[in-house]
Amino acid sequence: MKSKKYSEALLNLFKKKGFKVKEFENIIESKIIIERSGEIFKKSLLSFEDDNGKNFSLRPDLTISSCLDYIKNVKRGIYKYAYFDQAYRRTFGKESLVRNQLGCEIIGSSNLQSNAEIINLIDQSLKKVIKYKTTIKINDINIFYALVDSLKLPSRWRLRLKRHFWRHDYFKQLIKRLESNSDLQKNVFELDKKSYFKMKKLKKDKMIAGRKINEILNRFEKKIKEPRSNINGARVAQIIRDFLNINCPLKNAKNELQKFEVKNKINLKLNQFDVFQLNLKNNNAMFSTNIGRSAEYYTGLVFEIYKKSKSFNLASGGRYDNLMQTLGAKTKVAAIGGAINYDNILKL
Amino acid sequence: MNKLIKIGLPSKGRLKDESLKIFKKKNFSIKDSKRKYLSEIKNFSLNEVVFSHAREIVERLADNSLDLGISGFDLLKESLPGIQKKIQVFSRLNFGFANLIVAVPDAWIDVQTIADLEEISFEFKDKNTGKLRVATKYPNLTNDFLLSKGLTQYKIVNSLGSTEIYPFTNQSEIITDITSSGATLKANNLRVLKDGNILKSSACVLVSKKSLKDKNKKKTITSLLKKLN
Repeated sequence: MKSKKYSEALLNLFKKKGFKVKEFENIIESKIIIERSGEIFKKSLLSFEDDNGKNFSLRPDLTISSCLDYIKNVKRGIYKYAYFDQAYRRTFGKESLVRNQLGCEIIGSSNLQSNAEIINLIDQSLKKVIKYKTTIKINDINIFYALVDSLKLPSRWRLRLKRHFWRHDYFKQLIKRLESNSDLQKNVFELDKKSYFKMKKLKKDKMIAGRKINEILNRFEKKIKEPRSNINGARVAQIIRDFLNINCPLKNAKNELQKFEVKNKINLKLNQFDVFQLNLKNNNAMFSTNIGRSAEYYTGLVFEIYKKSKSFNLASGGRYDNLMQTLGAKTKVAAIGGAINYDNILKL
Repeated sequence: MNKLIKIGLPSKGRLKDESLKIFKKKNFSIKDSKRKYLSEIKNFSLNEVVFSHAREIVERLADNSLDLGISGFDLLKESLPGIQKKIQVFSRLNFGFANLIVAVPDAWIDVQTIADLEEISFEFKDKNTGKLRVATKYPNLTNDFLLSKGLTQYKIVNSLGSTEIYPFTNQSEIITDITSSGATLKANNLRVLKDGNILKSSACVLVSKKSLKDKNKKKTITSLLKKLN
């Protein structure tokens, strides 16, 4: 059977490189995920309630399962996970509820070597098992954040663009709004100024629906001081669009970005990024500013692997240095991982 | 050959009174007693009138235990996609008007739009006091709307009534609710966000799609709907 043959071969190659093949618990407490991701992910969970009213879900993703296993059983140091198992998500179309997920993670390491180790391991293993040439696309989403920081924007807009970078459709809407300056409401401000002066006389630590008067007044003042009317939204939007079109060989990436800096009179502080020194075994490595926008937990380097002759996605992954803490780790635990697009491989 | 059609009408309040008025206006006589939930249109072919909760009428149309009914457009849109696709909206009626809206405490003067709310939701997350809580009787419509507007960091609190007081009793921070004049919101120190209109609702005539596939039923339903229109 093709499926078993591939999964066994890939897991064996992972094992040879020191990765430990693990099986995870099928059920996890929904609260862990909902507290992290909010309602957006809750919709995808296959959940049920026990007699005590506690909500549980079938595991929706094995990267999350690896993290939870590390927090519960490993606790410190570097641990290399490999897995091939099923994850379960509610679907809204014809997609199956059950997804086969084959992947590997290095939890507890933040260095450049582990970035290269994961990408090389997945890429080289794929090459050996499926015997096709591959292309790797690389990005570091912190370069996008550096772009946003370098642009003339109110700080609220900077945060907004960073937070929603991973949501393609909504991000497009944001850029349109930025372009048109359509969310200015000077008239409403004038109305609320009256309330503002009244509220200034109240006790600053009085709570109103979970917020202190002080917090409300401070934010109101900040909004007044940071009007958007004086920014050139159309120009900023165009710079962002142009940035997201950068696609070049990885070896030329720094050079291309420097040209972009000069053209747009911005400073991306490129020396802080180690993505340009990434030591990959595959010579077909591209740098693409528009990849790695599928999961909100990525914090740095992201990659996608394609079958060379077609734009057929074989694997993807990235660094997620903040995920562990939001899932319950007491300290920051850096991590990187990747998953093979197993269903696509079976189609080859 | 099943000619009997089952009609669901709201069992209480203005929705019931206005629904009965429509039938009366067209000279259909429906015997109504406060405690009796089954009745019929006397001067029409074989039928049964079931007085139910408006929310239940939508579900019964979907499982085809009712053939047609009157309920709120909001309740239809709140139901799961699998239910909605089994029901056809025949017409929107001229009563039961209400808007489903997002409202925040009046004193949150720095919050005028959903974009502001999105920023506040991250403040709650950063303060580690838990997620911004949204009390509602309409979790599905609320989720679809808020997610489409960029809000992700919040938690739904299901409410069954008096949603307006939730922000002031530490049960939620903001609400979504149905309002017609806005008076109740105002009385409870809440205000509607500028871009916080989720849905415009009114009462509507709904028909079970499965019933329309039955030739005999379709004929009776169509004849009744024509007379009511």
